[in-house]
Amino acid sequence: MDLQGQNGLVSTYRQSWRNRGLAGVLVSALLVTFYLVLYFEDKLEKVIHMRPLTDFATSVGLRNRWYLYGLLYCVLMIVGGALYLRKHGNSRYNQLRIATNVTVQVLFGFLLPFIMPLFNGPELYVSYFWPLKYDYFYPHTLQDLPLYFAAYTVLGSLLLAPIMAYFFGKRWYCSWVCGCGALANTFGDPWRHLTSKSTRAWRFEKWSIYLVLGLVLLTTALVGMDFLVGAQHPTFHRLVAGEHWDDWSLKYLYGLVVGAILAGVVGTGLYPILGPRVWCRNFCPMAAFLGLVGKFGRFRIRVKPGMCISCGNCSTYCEMGIDVRSYAQSDQSFTRASCVGCGMCAHVCPRGVLKLSNAPRGQADKKRQGLTVVDF
Amino acid sequence: MQIVIVGNGVAGMEAALVVRARMPEAEITIVSEESEHFFSRTALMWVVCGQLDYPDIEPLERDVYARQRFRRVRARAVGLDAEARTLKLVGDLPDLPFDSLLIACGSRPRPGPWPGSTLGGVGHFVTMQDLEWLEAELHGGPAKAGPPNSGGHLAHTTEDSPYLPRTVSAVARGASSRRPCVVGGGLIGIEAVEVMHAAGLRPRFFIREEWFWPIAMDSKESTWIAERMREHGVDVQLEEGLECFEADDAGNVVAVKSDRGERYEVDLAVIAIGVVPNTDWLKGSAVKLDAGGGIVVDEGLESSVPGVFAAGDCASVRWFEGSRRPEQLWYTGREQGRIAGKRLMGDAALYARGAWYNSAKLFDIEYTTVGLVNMNLEGEQNFYFEERGSVRSTNRVVVADGRVVGFNFLGRRWDHEVLLRFIAERRSLEYTLEHLHEAAFDTEFVPALSIPPEARRAPLSGPAPSGVREPITPPTSAASRVASQGAR
Repeated sequence: MDLQGQNGLVSTYRQSWRNRGLAGVLVSALLVTFYLVLYFEDKLEKVIHMRPLTDFATSVGLRNRWYLYGLLYCVLMIVGGALYLRKHGNSRYNQLRIATNVTVQVLFGFLLPFIMPLFNGPELYVSYFWPLKYDYFYPHTLQDLPLYFAAYTVLGSLLLAPIMAYFFGKRWYCSWVCGCGALANTFGDPWRHLTSKSTRAWRFEKWSIYLVLGLVLLTTALVGMDFLVGAQHPTFHRLVAGEHWDDWSLKYLYGLVVGAILAGVVGTGLYPILGPRVWCRNFCPMAAFLGLVGKFGRFRIRVKPGMCISCGNCSTYCEMGIDVRSYAQSDQSFTRASCVGCGMCAHVCPRGVLKLSNAPRGQADKKRQGLTVVDF
Repeated sequence: MQIVIVGNGVAGMEAALVVRARMPEAEITIVSEESEHFFSRTALMWVVCGQLDYPDIEPLERDVYARQRFRRVRARAVGLDAEARTLKLVGDLPDLPFDSLLIACGSRPRPGPWPGSTLGGVGHFVTMQDLEWLEAELHGGPAKAGPPNSGGHLAHTTEDSPYLPRTVSAVARGASSRRPCVVGGGLIGIEAVEVMHAAGLRPRFFIREEWFWPIAMDSKESTWIAERMREHGVDVQLEEGLECFEADDAGNVVAVKSDRGERYEVDLAVIAIGVVPNTDWLKGSAVKLDAGGGIVVDEGLESSVPGVFAAGDCASVRWFEGSRRPEQLWYTGREQGRIAGKRLMGDAALYARGAWYNSAKLFDIEYTTVGLVNMNLEGEQNFYFEERGSVRSTNRVVVADGRVVGFNFLGRRWDHEVLLRFIAERRSLEYTLEHLHEAAFDTEFVPALSIPPEARRAPLSGPAPSGVREPITPPTSAASRVASQGAR
């Protein structure tokens, strides 16, 4: 039995490491440094004449620094997941969701792709799809993939993912499968209340996330064109798909800015400052794509009319910065493209006002006017 | 048009927003003594727990006053001149002239009747100032910053104001509370107990009645809640009221004496025996008050003075069974505010009193009530069943005249709208139980409630609900005395 009565969020604001205190800033600095070294070790080597992560990884018998990263990632998800369940495990949705998400990631995000190459098999990521895993749509990559997997990843990205998003919302991916979501909801959970709920943050998000989606479409299209005509047009080839870093090609820049800086350094490094879903909320093209599909889909958060007491627990603990309360207090069921369906708003609601639902829409979703009068 | 609103709680703020939505030119002045910003009073407990911060419990962004051009006056209203149509403010502040006035000044805590009820370390848990006081007693102060401009009203208040800062006994003692207690077995009482428990303490909970919250609970239901409180380390003292508080030389509480002759050492006491309309300042004015101090209003929320309206906790409205008293609920305050906003503009809106419903979370137990429960209706039958599988729940359906009239549920979430529909459609017990799943509102993957066959057969034995005594909170107290009119 938990000792905290209502739920595990008691004393959130009384712990300085969770509220941008010194300890929080230090954790963030550590994470940012780690990611900078992880992504830019090659360039760092010229300055410090060593490759700290690679050297450490090989010294403990790992093949390269990515194995070390994968291992650390798994440990943080498992430990963070256990702590998460200690706090919020009295909800079945939380139990199933976190268990599934962490299991999927440990199996398909780490063990499978890292173990297969040891037996001379291909390194395949079955739990990542374009446009998050953007290079899976680059013709050269597709060419090198086994045919069955190339078919799987193309159909998965273009059919499976949006169809699932239509029926279940983008949560099926963002909160049950995705590795970024898995880390955010386990290791990153203690900072979920830090996500900004300001109007300014919302305006930024609307631009930034669709900008990245546009960028990934452009990059994918141009890299595809390069595959067809790049040989005849060397300048085009260099600008679009040049492999060397000082080509500053679109492909390289997208990988650098979106793949490394926004997803890694900012997205994870700033957990203790900006909350755990910075990447998912502001930059992830997969989230943008599935969110748009979900807008026309079945998933929504149902609001029980007239019961909301405007306490603010739902908005405060929304990791995507959605002002859930504004919908709840105006008796309005809603679908928001950004909602990853983590279920925390419904879980922390002291009045049971909110319910995540995939069921076909009905009478209950209509906005109610006034109190229900019953003639006794 | 000059519109003045006394109180920036949910009723006052809703009214102001309704007016502004249609009258961009109206001059709207909001008089607020208690706080700078509109906040959710129902959320005080989570601030003390450290689960929410002060800005989190504000339902609207802080720039709402500027954006909506609401003039805010931090001062105490002290009277009303119905002839001159002005609101009097404390001291030498100029009177506020109005074309229409809304009084939405809410409730104040009911004072303790026991000697020592105003000692240091003894207080309530209703106002923003109570929140600051309790945080100081339990945690030495707010987690981050306290409420903005919390003393903004102090230059313009009176000595009998409920919004004065309280002395913090922890300061004199030099240590936070170790042995707190709560007096009064209702909703605010259990919330105070929860915040003490969340502070890592072992509160003593004095409940005068046979079981916790008899006005809303049956003994079986309440027993489960008491059991849960004890599991969490609360000393639940049933059928034990107070005699007096004892103080040290500095005037801070050191012990309570119970009406069983026991003496308990305490260093903090929260008195939670209900609230009363905050209308002392209207005594002697032309605005008619009922015996309990509520502002008497008609179906359009207009008081005895034309053009002066009242909404929320301070408004005494007529209930379905004919009695008159305030509805001290968040959702009715909001609804009344919306109606009052229309009336302030001269619309002919009527307040349609809805059927009773409410929900809460008592520690980690979900609670939903709908319709006529614990009303002692003539010939009522209570059908009750428990669930003790992977979900624990208690479920009670009240039947009168062969149709369902009320529901009391613990342990699961329910959609009160569907339950109200069963009542409005005058459904039988059989039909209701068969369709009960339509009202389920549990989060996903919670196994559905399975209804045992005996639920249909055996009404709760004995006169149900037994043991409802003379209660201490006014809104529900009248309800419990109502007999027979309900099931028409």
